[in-house]
Amino acid sequence: MIIPVRCFTCGSLIGDKWEEFMRRVSQGEDPKKVLDDMGIKRYCCRRMLLSHVEIIDEILRLEEARRKVSEKYRR
Amino acid sequence: MEVKLLEYDDNHVRFVLKGSNPAFANALRRIMIAEVPTLAIDEVVFLENTSILFDEIIAHRLALIPLKVDPEFIDAARHEPSKYEVRFYLDVEAKDSPLVVYSGDLKTDDPHVRPVSDLIPIVKLIPGQKLVLEAYARIGIGRDHAKWSPVSACAYKYMPIINIDHSRCSLCGNCVKYCPRQVLSMEKDRVVIKDPLACTLCKYCETVCPNDAIRVRGDDTTFIFNVESTGSLPPDFIVLEAAKILKEKCETFLKLLKEIREEHT
Ligand code: SF4
Ligand code: SF4
Ligand SMILES: [Zn+2]
Repeated sequence: MIIPVRCFTCGSLIGDKWEEFMRRVSQGEDPKKVLDDMGIKRYCCRRMLLSHVEIIDEILRLEEARRKVSEKYRR
Repeated sequence: MEVKLLEYDDNHVRFVLKGSNPAFANALRRIMIAEVPTLAIDEVVFLENTSILFDEIIAHRLALIPLKVDPEFIDAARHEPSKYEVRFYLDVEAKDSPLVVYSGDLKTDDPHVRPVSDLIPIVKLIPGQKLVLEAYARIGIGRDHAKWSPVSACAYKYMPIINIDHSRCSLCGNCVKYCPRQVLSMEKDRVVIKDPLACTLCKYCETVCPNDAIRVRGDDTTFIFNVESTGSLPPDFIVLEAAKILKEKCETFLKLLKEIREEHT
C-alpha cells in the first residue's frame, strides 16, 4: 500500500529512504548503486525498496474518481 | 573478559568480546534486543481521519517510528517506566493539492524527543482529506513489542580460526578462488589468511580443498559482535545498558537464592 516504516526482517528504518530511492531510480540510476550509496547493506532491507509498489497513489486516484461520480449524482 | 573495538559510528558498533562464553554472549545479545528500554508511541487518539488508511494502520505506522531520546533519560526511566509519557500531536489537512504526511509533521511539547527521521511517510492525502490525532509515547521493552527494541541487526559470530597445513597444501588455489568472502589469498608459495574477521565459517574452503589441507572452526570463547541501533539510542549505550541489566538480573537471582536458603535453614 504505502512504503513500510521498517524492514520486515531486521527492523531497520527504511520508510524515509523510499522517496530518494524512487527519485534516483526513475532518473535512470542503477538501483544497486543507489542502495549502496544510501548505506542499505543487508538484502532484507534492500528488497523492501526494490520490491515495493506504492499502490496508495493508485487508490487515491480511484478515490478521486469515486468522489467525482458521487458529486455528479448528488446534483 | 576483554573488549576490542573494531568499528564505531552513529548507529552501529562492531567489537570483539574475548575470554567469554556462549551463555554470556547470548545473554548480552538477547537483552540488547528485548530488554533495553526505549520510547515508542503506544496509544493514539484519533480526532479526525478522512484519509484512505484505517486508524489501526496509521497507529501502527506511528508506533514503528523510532524516537530519538536522551540516553540518561532512559537510564533513569528504566526503574519507573510508567511515570513517563510524551505527548505528540498531528493536525494536517490537504487543501488545494495532494499532500504527504511525514513523521516530521508530528509536534511535541518535549524538546528532548524527536523522530529519528523527519522524512518517514505516514499517509498520503488528497484535497479535502484531514488527519488530526494525539499520540502518547511510553517507555517499553522489545519483549513486549518489537517497536521498543533499540536495535535492528544485533548478532555475533564466533571468532574464526583457520588452519592451513602447508605440508599437505598443493597450492591448487581452490580455497582462494571459492571463498565467498575473499578471506584467503595466494602469495608466492603459500596460501595466506588475509582477512580472518570476514570469514563466515561457511567451511566451503574445506569442501573444495582436494588435499584436506585447510580447516576452519569457530572459537567459542571469542565473539565478534555487530550491533546496529534503530537510531533511538547510541549503540555503545545499548551495549553498556544491556550489561547493566544483566548484572542486575544476576544480583536479583542471588538475592532470591539466599532468601530460599534462609527459609530452609
Ligand atoms: S569458511 Fe568460508 S568464509 Fe571462511 S575462509 Fe573458508 S570459504 Fe572463506
Ligand atoms: S584448496 Fe587446499 S590444497 Fe588447494 S590451495 Fe587451498 S589449502 Fe592448498
Ligand atoms: Zn533488513
